[in-house]
Formats: sequence, C-alpha cells, structure tokens
Amino acid sequence: MIEPVVAARGVVKSFGSGRAARRVLDHVDLEVRPGELVAVVGRSGSGKSTLLHLMAGLDRLDAGSITVAGIRLEQQSQAGLTELRRSRIGFVFQSFHLLPELSGYENVLLAARLARRGAGATARARELIASLGLDGAASRLPGTLSGGEQQRLAIARALVNGPALVLADEPTGNLDAESGATVLGLLRGIADGERAVVLATHDAEATARADRVLELRDGRLG
Amino acid sequence: MSSLLRVALARLAGRPGRTLLAAGGIAAAAAMLGAATTVAFGLATGFDRAADRAGLPDAMAQFDAEDVREVRRRALALPNVRSVSFRLEDGGVEVYTERDYARHGKLQGVRGGERGYAIVEGRDVRGRGEVVVERGLQREWGIRLGERVGVHQFRSYATFEVVGVAVTPDNVAFPLANGPRLYAHYEDVREFSRERPGAVNIALLWVQDPEQIDLTLSQARVASFGIDELEFVTRDGVHTLINQAAGIVIALLVAFSLVALGAALAMLGSSSAADIQRRLVSIGLLRTLGATPRAIAASVALEGALVAALAGGVGLAIGAIAVHGPTDRLLVALNELGPGAAIVWPLLACLAGLVLVVAVTAAWPAWRAASRPPVETLGGADLVRVPARARLGAGSLALGVRLALSRPRRTAATIAVLAAASSIVLLMLALAGLLQRLQDDPETVGKRYRLSVPAAATDVPAIRALPGVAGATARYEVQAADSFALGQAFSVIGFAGDHVPYEAPPLASGRRLAAVDEVEVGLGLAQALNLSEGATLAAQLPSGREVRFRVSGVVRALENEGRVAYVRASRLLAAEPFAVPEIAVLIEPGATKDAVATNLRRAGFFPRAVGGVTARGGGFLEVLAALLRSFAVVIGAVCLYVLVQTLTLTAQERIRALAVLRTLGAGRGQVTAVLAGTALLIALCGAAVGAVLERFVVAPAASGLAASYVSLSLVADARDTGLTVLGLALLAVLAAAWVARGAVRRPIVAGLREE
Repeated sequence: MIEPVVAARGVVKSFGSGRAARRVLDHVDLEVRPGELVAVVGRSGSGKSTLLHLMAGLDRLDAGSITVAGIRLEQQSQAGLTELRRSRIGFVFQSFHLLPELSGYENVLLAARLARRGAGATARARELIASLGLDGAASRLPGTLSGGEQQRLAIARALVNGPALVLADEPTGNLDAESGATVLGLLRGIADGERAVVLATHDAEATARADRVLELRDGRLG
Repeated sequence: MSSLLRVALARLAGRPGRTLLAAGGIAAAAAMLGAATTVAFGLATGFDRAADRAGLPDAMAQFDAEDVREVRRRALALPNVRSVSFRLEDGGVEVYTERDYARHGKLQGVRGGERGYAIVEGRDVRGRGEVVVERGLQREWGIRLGERVGVHQFRSYATFEVVGVAVTPDNVAFPLANGPRLYAHYEDVREFSRERPGAVNIALLWVQDPEQIDLTLSQARVASFGIDELEFVTRDGVHTLINQAAGIVIALLVAFSLVALGAALAMLGSSSAADIQRRLVSIGLLRTLGATPRAIAASVALEGALVAALAGGVGLAIGAIAVHGPTDRLLVALNELGPGAAIVWPLLACLAGLVLVVAVTAAWPAWRAASRPPVETLGGADLVRVPARARLGAGSLALGVRLALSRPRRTAATIAVLAAASSIVLLMLALAGLLQRLQDDPETVGKRYRLSVPAAATDVPAIRALPGVAGATARYEVQAADSFALGQAFSVIGFAGDHVPYEAPPLASGRRLAAVDEVEVGLGLAQALNLSEGATLAAQLPSGREVRFRVSGVVRALENEGRVAYVRASRLLAAEPFAVPEIAVLIEPGATKDAVATNLRRAGFFPRAVGGVTARGGGFLEVLAALLRSFAVVIGAVCLYVLVQTLTLTAQERIRALAVLRTLGAGRGQVTAVLAGTALLIALCGAAVGAVLERFVVAPAASGLAASYVSLSLVADARDTGLTVLGLALLAVLAAAWVARGAVRRPIVAGLREE
C-alpha cells in the first residue's frame, strides 16, 4: 500500500466568534496518494481555499490533523511549516501572483533561491520553462504576458523545488478556455509524474480530468 | 462637521494601537522641531533680550582717560543723545580667587546713571569694596555671593566682596572672551589704576533715535577734538560680532531644522499613505455608499489633526526640555539671556504648523484614493508601479532593491531626507573631531612642539642633550598693541632661531620670515590692521618701546583669534629685554611625550604638555560638543524612524507579494533580507549623496561661518564617512528586521486575500 502524500483527519476550521462564528470545515477527512489528481468542488465560500491553505500550512486548524509527506502540520512551528512549504509543497494561485518586478525566469528561480537550492536550481528552472513551452515568455515581465503564460510560469515556480504535493486554488479561474485546458493538462501531467495534486475548482473541465472529485458542502467533504 | 468629528473620534478609539503608533511618530517629529526651535529662537533673540534687560547703550566710546566733566559737556551737546554715563576701565589686570586665576581681566569703575548691564543675581555695587562679576566668570569659577575676589596690576592690589552677578551682552562671556570683567565702585578703580580724580575712559551713549546713530557718531567725532584714541562701538556692531561667534551653531540648527522638517514630512507622509493603504476597502465602501472624496478626505484630515494636536504638543515640550540645558549654557557663554516663557509662542506656531502638515499629509492620499473608481478601492489593489527591467538577479536582497525601484519618487524623496541627515551627521562628526583636536592637539594651532619648559635660554643646550629630545629653542611671547591703534592688542611670538620647525601655522599669502626685521602676521591681525605683504607692523611693547617689522607673510593662525605676530627673538629682546622665555621641546620620532617629560623632570625641569586652545575656549567647546552629540543622537533616531516608516509602507503595499513569498517558503530571515534590500538601497544612496553634499556644500559653508581668520577643514575624514555609512547600513538592517518581525506575524492567508 502506497503511503498518502497528504492525509487530513477530522479537520475543523471556524472563522469569526460568538454568534458570528461559522464552521467552514467540519471534520473533513481526505487522503491523496502520489500520482493522484483530486478535485475539490463546492459553492463559493464553501471552504475549498481554506482546506488548501490548511494543507499548505498557511493557516492553523482548530481540530484534527493534517500530515504532508509524513510530517504532522499541527505539530510544526512556523519555521517547520516554512521549511515544509519550501521543499514539499507547491502552490498555484488563481491570480498567478507572479512578482511584477521579476521576469518569468526570475520568478521561477526565486522559489529555488528561497529554498537555497544550489547550482542545480538554474538548470532546473530553465528545464521546466523549456518543458512548459515558455522560452519566449521567460525573459519578459509578468505584466506583458498572457494569463495562460503567467499561470504556466506559476506552475513552473511551484514545481522548481520538486514538491511531493501540488495545491492549485482555482488555477483556471482567470483563464480563457484554451489556456485553462493547457493548464489542466499540465496539472494532469504533474500527477502522472508521481506527485499528488489537489485542486480547488468550479471548472467542469477540471473535474473531468481528475481521478477523484470531492464536494465540500456544509463543511463536510463528500 | 460634527458627524465628521464623530467618525474621526470613533475611528481613533477603535484602533488604539495604530493611533498610539501614529502619535509616537508625530511626537518624535515634534520633538525634533521643538529642540531646533528652542535653540534657534534662544540664540536668535538672546542678544536683543539681554540687551534690552541690560539697557545696553546704543553706542560705547573708548578713549584715553579724560575728565568726566569735559566729556559729559561734549556728549550732552550732541543733538540726538538722550542719556550718557561713564566708566573708568583698567584692562589687563590679573584676577584671582583662592582657587583660580586669570589674566587680561577688565576692572570697570561705574559712576551714576544708567548701568548698561543686567544684574541676574545679588545686587548692584552700592559702596566701596564691592564688586559685581560677570556671569561667565561666576559660572566658570563657581564664585558665590559674599566671596572675595582679588585684582592685581603692577604694584596695585585690591580685593573686593562679590555682591552681584551681571550680564553685559556687549561681548561674549569669560572664558570665551579674553579675560573676565568686574564692575566696582568708581573711586576704588580710580585709586587702583592711579588715575586723577574724575578721569573716565568709557562713555555709554543712549540716543533718542537709534536710526540716526551714524549721524550722531559723526558729530561726536567732530566734537572730540583733544580726546585721544577715540573708538566707537555701536549696539548693532556688537550684535554682528556676537552673531559671528554663534553663526556656526545657528547654521547647524537651521540645517537641523530642515532635516527635522523633511524627516517629519517623510514620516507623516509615509504613515498616512500606509494608513490609507490599509483602509482602501473601507474608503471604497464609503464611496459606494455615496460619500464624496471631499468628505472622506476631510474626515481623515480631522482624525490626523486630533492626534497631531495632542502628540505634537507632547513632542514639542519634550524637545524643548531636552535642549534647555545645553542652550542655557550656550547663552551663558555668549553673555545672553534665555527666552523664558517667550518660547511658548514659537512653539505654539510650530504646533499649528505641525497640525496643518499632518492634516494635509493625511488628507492628500485619502483624496487620491477616494477619487479612484470605487471598484478599484474596494479591491484594495496593490499600488505597484512596475519599473523598467534591471539586471539585479533574483535573490532576496535584489528583490528588495526592485521593490524600492518600483516606487522611484518615494525612494528618491527618502534618499534625499537621509542624505540631508547624513550630511549633517558627517558635519557634526567633523566638528566634534575638530573640537577634540582643538582641545588636545597642538598641531591644530600650528605648534609642532609637544612640551614646553619654563627655563632660561641658557638651559637650551642641556635640554637638547636629553634622550628623546629632537630639538629645543627659546620661545618668547609678549602682549603688544598696535602703535597706530592702541586698542588693537596682539601677541608677539619670538623664537631664538627659525620658528618653522617649532610653530608654523599654514601660510595664507606671502612667505616665511627670513630676516630679523620681518614678521609673519596672523590673518586675524592682518584683517584688523589691514596688513599685507610689505606693510609695516609697529608694535607697542609692555616696556613702552616700539618695534617695527615688515610683513613677509600672512598665516592662518587659530590662536588668539589670529591676532599673533611671529618674529625673530633677537629684535624682540632688544626692545623687551626682560621678556621671560619658555623652552619649546621637539620630541624625536619614536620617543613618547611621557618619557621625555620624565627625562626633563629628572634633569630638574618642570615640563608642561602643550595643548590646543582648551585654556580659554574649553568650556565653550564642551558646550558645543554636548549640543552636537544631542543632535547627532536625535538625527540617528530620525533616520531609523524614516527607514521604519518607509519599510512599513512598503510591507503594507506589498502585503500580497510578501504573502506569496512566504507561501513559497520564505521565512523571517528572507523577508528581512527582502526589506533589507529596500532599506540598504535607500540608506547607502542616502549616505553617498550625504557625503558628497557634506564635502562640497555643507562643510565649506560651515567652515566659512566658523572663522574667517583661519581655514578649518570641516570635511569629514574617511573614518567618519565610513562610520556614517556603516551606521546607516546597520540602521537599515535594524529597520528591516523590525518591520519583517511584524510582517511575518500576520497570517499568510490574510495577505493572499488582499486582492
């Protein structure tokens, strides 16, 4: 039996306090193994992004546990979570979030620099950029690139440190159909390369490419 | 308006932490303004205040002793004269107490009428045997009322009981002035100086119309036939002379005030912009609900004004109190009076200005934000300008540099503030170094010998033979007056041989003396007597004989305000045979001053270490140094605050970028490195521009203000420049660490949601 890359057990997360308190995730369980692409769907505000944030160690859960690559997130300090994000997790945002001051190549390389990857980082970044067909875009600033190019660079950035888990929050939400299809193809390819991919989405095309589709409703995953 | 006030108050009460932070910044800026205003106002108005309280005459006339009835008759015949009073002054007296001693004292016998000095402690002279001492002497020697002070000159001795302390703003105070001044009963002074009854040599004139003083003095000259050596000094002339003494301090304060103002604007502008950046969503909401940009800006301005009024008042008071002590000491040195309660008005004006500045700097970004389409402000959009491509790499520091470059105008403004601040810091370091050298290093006054020995000229061979002694020669110094203007006193310094190896201030013009009838004069003396190469200096010596020299060159001598003349000793001794020498001792390279002093003591001599100008101006230099140190610390704090504010605004504006970095695995150290990149770019550029500014603008200007008779290099040396650059770099890293600490405490998801 292959160990799951990410395993969530009884995850609870609430926002607000008193009468305004709202439980967004209510005892959520989830396991994703290498090579698996799991799509989490649900209405806006259903907690899809919150679940991804918790799995990336960007936020703390109220109850339950999440294990990524064998590491219990709730037991980690901030420094431990930072190290985990550097080495084990790649994150893809709906709005790409490329730094506007850096070229596409530099944006990809930045993640490797933060992880203090040595000389291999440059070669790895170039290889990824080439494999994603971004040679022309890599030397340009994000503001001059199309949405599809920006998102593909964001995926390259997520992959540059060789993470075991890739989390994608509405990766096609800001893209046209053609670019969205390309990005989904890339994510499918990442999962096929023995990585675990979890994507939060509304996109029917995305769910069609997923190995499993889970719906978040009333805080529960089903 | 009332609804605006309610909204403003509610917002302040709802965010006490941020309100306190903003208040702290405003209070810091206000403290700087308060400090600068207090010192500048005190110095700018000190003379007039002291002159008014003392009833300083509109003009003073000095002349060879004349009968008071004759002088009064002529003075009162002048049409514009309102009042006149007379004194008999005996200059060059030795003044002493049980503990202290000073030469060049001036004992003045006062007669009836207006005094021209202000009693600040005790009472005025009422009878014989009483004396009023000047405040500088009282402070320097710690004289108490009732204590006895002695005076001595040739065969005259007298002792007096101190009954009062006076301030006379017609000269700087002892020890900055040549000698102390004492005011005694007229008959006491007359007997001491062995003058005939009724003799006076100073007339104090008060006129009806001060505008006509020049005309009155012209008429006085015409009416002065038979009165010898008449010289006039007007109140305005005294004011100008005193201002020269304080010129460099006032110039520094003006520069400091400009730095303070610039820093305050940068601070307030940054914090307001950061605050508005935080509030973009609520501003968008208010606009959606129908609020006009004007109403939003007014509400924010009112909020800023409320905080500024309170915090500004506290800060101004703190700044004023902090510099009260050094200012008071400076005014004492200049024989001037502190402003007292009158300082309240300029401080209130500062407060009004500060409140206005805060209101405007708060309202402007609010107006800009509220004028944008509400949909943009509701999104809380990142205010980013993307710069042209620059090859800086993709490291954390380089990213920080790019963040700074993406806001070129703000970065340039902050660099300008830091450049101005660092140029002032560099000037202060250069000044402090100069003050230190003036106190300790005889080289600054052109003296190359390190030890002097009171001994006869015949002892020179024995001293030369001692180990560690590179050379020794007899040096004579006598006080002289110009034969054509006896009021112009100077020192004649004679060396047995060539003076250059022992004492040689740099030449301003001409050449070194080469013959016994030649003289090198200090620039101060050359300016006073209008001397140049080839001119004749006629020196009236204490023996009563006159000796003449031809000027070979003019030197930039600092000692005795440049009123010195270097000659060969043989001609001086021919005219002043009883001049007492000291032996100037040069030390061999490798030998220490202490070792040579020990050898001299073993040989039966009493060596003295040669210093700078401490003996006379040490107290004043210490006051200046204290003031410089206070300001340097404040400016350092200002730089840190400016950097923190700039980085806080950057972190606020780029909250999403920082959140993305943290999502990619950036820890606190890397966020610090990014912000340090921004801060270091600003700090290092500021330091570099500041160094250039100091070298080519600030230092030459300050040097010119410091003294016209000598060239004082106020250009910061490599060590001071390095220290300033390093200090600013450290402040940059400190500010980055401080801001990063706060930035990584925010939840990452909160930053990611800012879109």
